[in-house]
Amino acid sequence: MAAIVSIRDVVKEYNLGKVVVPALRGVSLEVDKGEFISIAGPSGSGKTTLLNLIGCVDTATRGSVEVAGQNTGTLSERQLTSLRLDTIGFIFQSFNLVSVLTVFQNVEFPLLLQNRLSKSERKARVMQLLEQVGLATHQKHRPNELSGGQRQRVAVARALVTEPQIVLADEPTANLDSVTGQAIIDLMRSLNEQKGTTFIFSTHDYKVMQHANAVVQLADGKITGRETPERAAASMLGHAPKPVLAVAP
Amino acid sequence: MISQSLMLVQISLRNLLASKLNLLIGGLLLMGTFFFVFFGALLDTLSDSMSKSVVGSVAGHIQIYSSKSKDELSLYGSMGGDPDLTAITEFPKIKAALETLPNVKTVVPMGTSAALITSGNTVDLTLERLRELYKQRDGKSTNPSAVKLSPEEAAKQIESQKGHVRQIVKVLQGDTEKAGVMLDESKTDADAKAALTKVAGDEFWQNFEADPYASMEFLENKIAPQVTDGSLMFLRYVGTDLDTFQKSFDRMEIIDGQRVPEGRRGFLIAKFFYEEFMKLKNARRLDKIKDGLATGTRTIAADADLQRFVKENSQQTRELVLQLDSIKTTDAVGRLQKLLGDDKESDLGTLLARFFTMTDENFAVRYAWFYSDLAPLLELYRVRVGDTLTIKAFTRSGYVKSVNVKVYGTFSFTGIEKSPLAGQISLMDLMSFRDLYGYLTSDNTEELKQLKANTAAKDVTREGAEEALFGEGTNNVVAEATPGLIDEKKELSGVAKILRQEDLIRRVYNQKEIEGGVVLNAAVILKDGRTIEETIKQINALSEQQGLSIKAISWQQAAGMLGQVINFIKGLLLGFVAVLFLLAMIVINNAVMMATLQRTQTFGTLRAIGAQRPFVLQMVLIESVVLGLVFGAAGMLLGTIAVAVVGKVGIPAFNDYLYFFFSGPKLLPVLNAWNLLVAIVLVLIATTVSTLIPAINATRVSPLAAMQADE
Repeated sequence: MAAIVSIRDVVKEYNLGKVVVPALRGVSLEVDKGEFISIAGPSGSGKTTLLNLIGCVDTATRGSVEVAGQNTGTLSERQLTSLRLDTIGFIFQSFNLVSVLTVFQNVEFPLLLQNRLSKSERKARVMQLLEQVGLATHQKHRPNELSGGQRQRVAVARALVTEPQIVLADEPTANLDSVTGQAIIDLMRSLNEQKGTTFIFSTHDYKVMQHANAVVQLADGKITGRETPERAAASMLGHAPKPVLAVAP
Repeated sequence: MISQSLMLVQISLRNLLASKLNLLIGGLLLMGTFFFVFFGALLDTLSDSMSKSVVGSVAGHIQIYSSKSKDELSLYGSMGGDPDLTAITEFPKIKAALETLPNVKTVVPMGTSAALITSGNTVDLTLERLRELYKQRDGKSTNPSAVKLSPEEAAKQIESQKGHVRQIVKVLQGDTEKAGVMLDESKTDADAKAALTKVAGDEFWQNFEADPYASMEFLENKIAPQVTDGSLMFLRYVGTDLDTFQKSFDRMEIIDGQRVPEGRRGFLIAKFFYEEFMKLKNARRLDKIKDGLATGTRTIAADADLQRFVKENSQQTRELVLQLDSIKTTDAVGRLQKLLGDDKESDLGTLLARFFTMTDENFAVRYAWFYSDLAPLLELYRVRVGDTLTIKAFTRSGYVKSVNVKVYGTFSFTGIEKSPLAGQISLMDLMSFRDLYGYLTSDNTEELKQLKANTAAKDVTREGAEEALFGEGTNNVVAEATPGLIDEKKELSGVAKILRQEDLIRRVYNQKEIEGGVVLNAAVILKDGRTIEETIKQINALSEQQGLSIKAISWQQAAGMLGQVINFIKGLLLGFVAVLFLLAMIVINNAVMMATLQRTQTFGTLRAIGAQRPFVLQMVLIESVVLGLVFGAAGMLLGTIAVAVVGKVGIPAFNDYLYFFFSGPKLLPVLNAWNLLVAIVLVLIATTVSTLIPAINATRVSPLAAMQADE
């Protein structure tokens, strides 16, 4: 399978005044089309930075990031924005819906930015997604009239409305209770299976990781391993001393 | 694209009420537009009506005057008295030139000035009548309009006038006694007192007939100066071509009397001035009380001003007592006794005081009675229509000149009858005006010509003056200068006769004579009053081109300080609105700055999901513009409603000066579409400019901001 994301030797440093803080220190990662990958690691390990680089909202200090075949380091800001609009869907930890717009309008928003579909086409697309996330009856509600889980489902619908190749989700369940979080992950998973959209999400919840095909472990700005969800969970809980990629004696 | 914009507008509309700060900004914008629309309409209407007052009463649309003048023209006078204007000598040429301009309807020649006139006091007037009666009796009368009286009638009238003088003397004696109580005896003029005592005694009157003229002279010299009711009046007038004036200023209306016949000399008194300053004061006060009561809101019982009028009327009856001769006094006493139901009191002063002590209940009856029963016995006005008015003024070279002009009537301008400013200016014919200011008229040019011819005078050049005077040439002037050679009477006959005032009053001048002399300024009446500035430019260009040496100014400038008032108020309004908008802009700037910071995550999210920078810029700008439009429109609507309501009810001219500014009893403001347009443009500029920087800042929000947790 072809890699939709290809990261090679990426270093990302933040300049905080005179201090240079390294966030990623030589990371390489390949994600194939249709994968459902989780990025795991403790706080400050560089999960969000890695997602930002893949999501084209940030660029690497060194190394190369290729998304959908494009080297993001060579693109202008405008081109990066277009790339995000057409190729990537975002699901945020705190939903990030536009509070003054209805559920329908929030989902429709990226389509308006793309400005390619007619009004009826947009409506059909939005309604289809709202059906899939189970919020068709709530289309006229405002975000503040919805529960957290419902809001995140709206966000999922918004991320998918442009039919992107990749959906990035940064801690999508962090603000949800475990049952709701579970439901969101199930929804994402089923959409991944139905549409073949690549999902990359960060989490530090081992229950959430269970649903991924693979878990990329990050620690201190470095990838420490790429494991099955079971092993990852076990290593997080301290039951699995042997990482998958470790060389067997 | 349209859906995108609609969405943006929708977002901004919904954001509008989300923040209280928006309400504050909106409130400021609303106030700004409201003030601009409402007061703008008010001022425009005010300016319009004032222009009607000024343009319609005397100024015309444009005034022209000599460009060589030291001062600027100021029709209503200025702080330092009348402006020093250089005379225009070639008026016909200028008029002809100006009338070639397409927008010029006509040009009315003028000269504006003011003079003090004195109205003679009661003794003077009575003695004048008495003298005329004696002259008639003795066949010496020179008054052609005098009515021939029978000897019996003349004797009766002479007795009545004499009785009148004796009555005045009695009043004066009363005054002196009162003064004596208050002042030290020695301070009162002994000579005056002696004269009064003499005249009060019977002896003087028994001997009166022996030499009536000498007796009258004694009265004129010794008694008349003691009567202080004659007063000085400051009369402002425009000397003009009356016929053209009456035709050009079509709001002018004759109230009493008639127009000055075509080509004649004559004077028309402004009705307002006539009422205010020339009318018998008691009658004037009665009129004012009546006006006050007519408002329906004021009563004598409650209004301090009306009470003051009533009090002054009952205390100041002297002018009436002095006016009435013995026959009329008896008549008036009888009528007052009947009205007041008291046949015991026979003192006219006491009766009048009681009559004038009026209340809300008896005012209407007594007011009507005053005009129907008492007024016919009185001289209601100091100057009557048909009288000849003597006006004295200083000529430009400094000597005093006087002219007699017949008063043909009074006039006012429709709509601004009550305006003291428009009602201040009376009208005089141009010939009299020129006479008064020492300018040459066709009459005195003629006089000079004849004098020259009769005395063989000739023009001498400056260079030849010495030779001509001291006789180096063929003329031996010295030898011919025999005393008595010039018979003054003969030389001045003919011309002098023509120049007698009586004849001047009857003389009819043709248009060439009227326009042919000097004028100080002229009103230019336009066909289209909206293009004043343009026409001024054309006139000034024409003057330059043809060497007319004139300067054109708008009515506003010509009205002097008065014209500037409106500009001043306009400036104040604009300043106020500017401050409001500036304040709004500062607040908007701060508010949007803060809002942008608060909404960093939103902008970040939008950027992350694919919105380009210009989209964010648009979003912020549209929000401000929508805010401006919504509250601006509300302000405009409120302003429009306010204008409509006030336009229906009207702002009453509660004082006489406002009458002039309002060009009538009420100001009815009319909405000006232009003001609405300017208001909304201002709002848009203010909101856009003040939002620009925060909007640019918003575009710089990184999509990374979306990743930060928690809103």
